[in-house]
Amino acid sequence: MTRTRRLAAALAIVAAVALAGSGCTVIPVTGPLTVQETGSGDPLSKPFQRMIAIPPRPTWGPDETIRGLQAAMAAYADDPSILAKYLTPEARAAWNPSGPVAVIEDEYEIVPSTPRDDAAQAQTFTLKGRWVAKIEEDDSYTPTAGVSPRTFQLVKAEGGGYRVSGLEDGLLLTNADVTRAYRATNLYYLTGKTQDRLVVDRVRLRLKPTQTYAQTILERLLKSPSHALKGAVTTSFPPGTKIESIRSDERVVINLSGPLSLSAEDTLSAQIRYSLNKNEIAKGRVIEIQVDGEPYTVDRPSADDHWLDDTSDTAYYVSKGAVHYMGQDGPAGAVPGAAGEQRTGYSGFAVSRDGALIAARTSTGISVAGLTQEGRWQEVIQGTRLTPPTWHRDGSLWTYDSQNGVLLRYDPITGRGPDRVAAPKLSGLDVTKLRIARDGVRVAVMTGENTVHIGALTGGSAGTMLGAFQVLTTTEVGNKITSVAWEDDEHVLVLAEGKAGQTLNEINVGDGEVVGVPLKDPLESVTALGGRVLAEAMTDQGAKIEELDQDRQTWTVKIESDAGSPLFPLG
Amino acid sequence: MITSTLVISVIVVVVLGMFLSEQIDRSVVESSQSSSFSEAFADRLQIADALAPETDDQSKPADSGKKGSGNPLDEVMDIVTGSGENGSKKRYDVLILNQSVPGQSRASGSVVPQDVPPNLQRNVQKTADGRSVGFVVKIRFIGESQPRLTFVVGGMVHVPATGQDYEVYHFFPFTEEEELLSTVRLAIVVVGLGLVLLLAAIAYLVARQVVTPVRLARQAAERLAAGKLDERLKVRGEDDLARLANSFNEMAANLALKIHQLEELSQVQRQFVSDVSHELRTPLTTVRMAADLLYDAREDFDPMASRSAELMQAQLERFESMLADLLEISRYDAGAATLDLDSVDVRDVVLRAIGDSEALAERHSTRFELRLPNEPCMAEIDNRRVERILRNLLFNAIEHGEGRDVVVTVGADRDAVAVAVRDHGIGLKAGEETMVFDRFWRADPSRARTIGGTGLGLAISREDATLHGGWLQAWGQPGEGSQFRLTLPRAAGSDLKGSPLSLVPPEIEMRRTWRTAMTPVLLPASADGTGHDED
Repeated sequence: MTRTRRLAAALAIVAAVALAGSGCTVIPVTGPLTVQETGSGDPLSKPFQRMIAIPPRPTWGPDETIRGLQAAMAAYADDPSILAKYLTPEARAAWNPSGPVAVIEDEYEIVPSTPRDDAAQAQTFTLKGRWVAKIEEDDSYTPTAGVSPRTFQLVKAEGGGYRVSGLEDGLLLTNADVTRAYRATNLYYLTGKTQDRLVVDRVRLRLKPTQTYAQTILERLLKSPSHALKGAVTTSFPPGTKIESIRSDERVVINLSGPLSLSAEDTLSAQIRYSLNKNEIAKGRVIEIQVDGEPYTVDRPSADDHWLDDTSDTAYYVSKGAVHYMGQDGPAGAVPGAAGEQRTGYSGFAVSRDGALIAARTSTGISVAGLTQEGRWQEVIQGTRLTPPTWHRDGSLWTYDSQNGVLLRYDPITGRGPDRVAAPKLSGLDVTKLRIARDGVRVAVMTGENTVHIGALTGGSAGTMLGAFQVLTTTEVGNKITSVAWEDDEHVLVLAEGKAGQTLNEINVGDGEVVGVPLKDPLESVTALGGRVLAEAMTDQGAKIEELDQDRQTWTVKIESDAGSPLFPLG
Repeated sequence: MITSTLVISVIVVVVLGMFLSEQIDRSVVESSQSSSFSEAFADRLQIADALAPETDDQSKPADSGKKGSGNPLDEVMDIVTGSGENGSKKRYDVLILNQSVPGQSRASGSVVPQDVPPNLQRNVQKTADGRSVGFVVKIRFIGESQPRLTFVVGGMVHVPATGQDYEVYHFFPFTEEEELLSTVRLAIVVVGLGLVLLLAAIAYLVARQVVTPVRLARQAAERLAAGKLDERLKVRGEDDLARLANSFNEMAANLALKIHQLEELSQVQRQFVSDVSHELRTPLTTVRMAADLLYDAREDFDPMASRSAELMQAQLERFESMLADLLEISRYDAGAATLDLDSVDVRDVVLRAIGDSEALAERHSTRFELRLPNEPCMAEIDNRRVERILRNLLFNAIEHGEGRDVVVTVGADRDAVAVAVRDHGIGLKAGEETMVFDRFWRADPSRARTIGGTGLGLAISREDATLHGGWLQAWGQPGEGSQFRLTLPRAAGSDLKGSPLSLVPPEIEMRRTWRTAMTPVLLPASADGTGHDED
C-alpha cells in the first residue's frame, strides 16, 4: 500500500512540476534570446521580376505582333522558344540574336513603312523610338542618343495573325526591360602594375532566374574587363578558372577550380569581396574561398578600405597665391615651404598622393615644391602651353604639352627630365585638361571647351600608353566646361557653364549615368574626394570655399573670403 | 500482463499519435493556406488598383496596352515581388499572365507559365473576379533538381477600363511547413515510442510487485506441505497481499498446533499401553504361578475342574505372549528398540526358524519346501529379530496354508538378501497386502485363531524389518495363496535398491505373462515399497 502511495505521490509531483514549469501557457514568457548573426547578412540574390513572353495570337494585328516580338526579345534570354514562334522559318534561320543590345525608350511607335496594302504578301513596318543606350557584348553600357528606326517585315500567318519574316539582327529592348532584367554592376579588377589597388569596371549584367546574382557577378568577373579597361587592369583569376558552386549558410562559400596561384589570396579575395559587396551582395559576411573543395582563403569583413581608398584626405585651398591647409571647419594655416608663401604666377595646383609634393603651372612650365620648411619651387617641365599638372598615384607628375602634342610624365624620384607617353588618340586634339583618377588607371581628358573623354593608361611599365578613349560628356556648342574633377574611381564631377547658367553633374564613367548636383552660388572650380565635394564660389564678397552637404542638396560655406582653388591630393 | 499492456498501449499511442499528427497537420496547413490566400488576395487588389487607369493623378490614356514610362505593371510587380529599390525578398513568387496583350505578363523568381497546374488554370479562368483557387502541388522549378511542394493560389484580375483579364498566380513554398510537420511527426513517433516503453516498464514493475509475493506464498506453502511447519511469510504493508500472508501464517500456526496436539495424544496413548502392559505383568506372574499349581494338580481334580485348569493354563500362555508383544511394540513406539548386529548366514537363521515351526507344521500336516542357495548368504543382522520375523511368517503361512506346502526361498545378491515365504492358502484380497501389517488386523474376523496369534506379529515383524533398513512386503491373490518377502541389506545402514527375489511368485508371474502376452495389465498386487521390487 505504501508503495502505491509513494508512486502516486511521485506522479503527482511530476505533474505539478510539469504544470508549474509550463505555467499552463502555450508560449511561455522568456528571454533574452541570442542568435549568431554571422549568417544573417545580405543574401546572395536580390529579387527581380521578368517579362513573360506569350506566343502571337491569331487576333493580333501588326502592331501587337511587333510589340509581342519586342516583349519576346526581352524574355529571350530566359526562354528563346517564344520568340521563334513570332518568326517565319526563314527568318528564324537567318536571325542572329548576338551583337550589341539596343536599348530604346519605353514609348515607341510602329508605323507602316509602305502604304498599307492588305493584298501585299509582305508588309514593312518601322519601329520608331529614341535610342537610350546600347549594351555591348562585353556587357558595357554606353548611352547613345538620337533616333534609329528598325524595320520589320510581316507576313500573314495561316490561321490568322502575322509572322515576322525579316528583322535586323540583335535584340531590341526598352529601357523598362533593361531596368527589369539588368543590373548595373561594379566589377573590380587590379591596377596593372602594382596590383595593390582595385579598379572598378561598370557593366550591365542580365539577371538569370536559375542563378544567384552573386554567381552572375562572379562568372562575369572571371572574364576580361570591358573594352574601356582592356589592357589597363589585371585580374588574379588565371584563364581557366571556373566557379563550381556558391553556397550560403553561415558564411558564403565559393568553390573555384582552375590553376589558381597560391600567392594571389589577398588580391583574389579582395576582387571577390568588393565585386560582391559593392553590389549589395553578401555585405558583412565571411567569404570562404575554396579551390576544388579545399579551403583556399577565408575573407572576413573588415573596415579596412585600402583596396579603394588609400589617398590622404587632407584638403587644401589657395589664398592670394599661397597654399593653405583646410581643416574640417575652416582654415588650418599655410603649408610649410615656398608653396605656403604668397606669390603670384602659380596656378593649377596639384598635390601628390601622400601630400608631400605640390605641383603648379607657371607661365614657363610646371614647378614642384616639397611641402616642408625647406621646400622650394623647382621647375621640372618646361613648356608654355601645358595643361595643369596632375599626379599619378605612383608618384609621377603628368601634363600634356599642347604645343608639341605630347603627353609628358615626370618622375620626381629619379629626377630625370620628363618622358613622353604615347597617346596616339590625343594627337590633333586640343587637350585643355588632363586629370588622372586616383586608381591610377583612368584618365579624364578635356578637349576643346566642351568635351570630356575618359581613357585608360594601358600597358606595363615599359610601354605605358594612354588609350581606350570614349566620350564621357559633351555640352552644346557655346557652353563651356570649367572644371573636371574625379570624385571617386567611377564618378567625375563636371562643372559646365552655359547661357542658361551653371550645371554641376556627377557622371559615372562606366555607364554615363548622370546625376545633377544643385547649385547655390556660381562656382569657379570643384574638387572632390570620397564623399566630400569642395568648390570655389564667386559671390559679391569675393571667392569662398563651400562644401556640399552629405544630403547632396545644400552647400555650406567653409572659408568666407580670399579662398579659391580647393584641392585634394590626386584626382 | 506486460504483453497485453504493451499491445494496448501501442494501439492507444498509435491512434492518439495519428489523431494528434492529423490535427497539427491540418491546423498548420490550414493556417498557412489561409495566410497565403490573404496575401495573394492583397496582392491582387494592389495589382487591380495599379492597373486601373487613374483619372485624377495620371493623365495616361485609357489605352494602357501601350507601355508608357513607368509601366504600372512593372511598378506593381516591383512592390509585390519586392524587386524594387529597397525591396526585400518575399517568401513567394508571383506570375501575372495576360494572354491577350503583348508585354503584359510578368514573373518573379524562376517561375514560368508552365509551372501553373493546368487544373488550376482552368479553374481560374472559370471563376469570377475576386475569388481565389488554390492547389498544393509538387513543382520542379527551372534550375532545380528536386520538385518542391508548393501552394499555388490563382485568381483573376479584371480591369474594367481596358477590358483586360490578368491571371495572377502566387507560388508559396510549402517546404518549411513540410519540414515542420515532419519534425512534429518524428517527435510524436519518438514520444509515442517512449510512452510505450514507459508503460511497459510500469506494467513490469507493477506485475513484479504483485507476482513476487504470490510466488513467495507458493514457495512457503510448498515448504509447509513438505512438513516444515515453522515456515511463515513476511508481512509487508497493509494491502491484500499482506492480508493473504497473514491468513497463511495463521493457517500454518493452527496446523502446527493441531499436529502437535495429535502427536501428544498419540504419545499419551502409547505411554498408556506401555504402562498398562508393565502393570499387568506383576499380577499376571502371580496368577501364572497359581495357575501352574492348579495345572500341575489337575489329575486330582474332577474332570470339570481339570479341564478348566488346562484351559486357564492355555489362555494364560496366550495372555503372556500378547503382553510380551504389546511391550515389544510399545518399545518400538517409544523408539527404544535397538539392533544387536552380527554377521550371520541367513540360511542358518531360516533353518532355525523352520526347526521352530516344525511342530506346528506337523499339526497342520504341512510340509516345507526349502529353496536355499548353495553359497552362504552373509548379512549383518540382529539374529533374534530376524528369526522372529521368519517365525512369524512361517506360522502365518502354516496357519493360512490349509495344509498345503509352504515354500521358503532364500535369495541374495551383492547388496541384499531376501527370504520369501509362500503359502497356497486362500490368499489375500486386493488392498489387503498393506493391511496385513496393521496391528490386530484380521482377514476374517469370524475366523478363530487356531494358533493363538496375538494380531501383533506382522506389525512387529514389519517394525523389525524397518529397523534393519529392510522391507517386509506381502503379495496375495484370492485362491492363489500369498507370499511374504523379507529383504535386508547385507551391510547394516545401507540403502536398499532392490530385492534379489521377486515379490510375485515366479510361477504366477510366468502364467500371467503367458496369458496376457497380448494385453498386459497392471500387476494386481503392488505393496508399499513398490518400484523397488524389480529383479
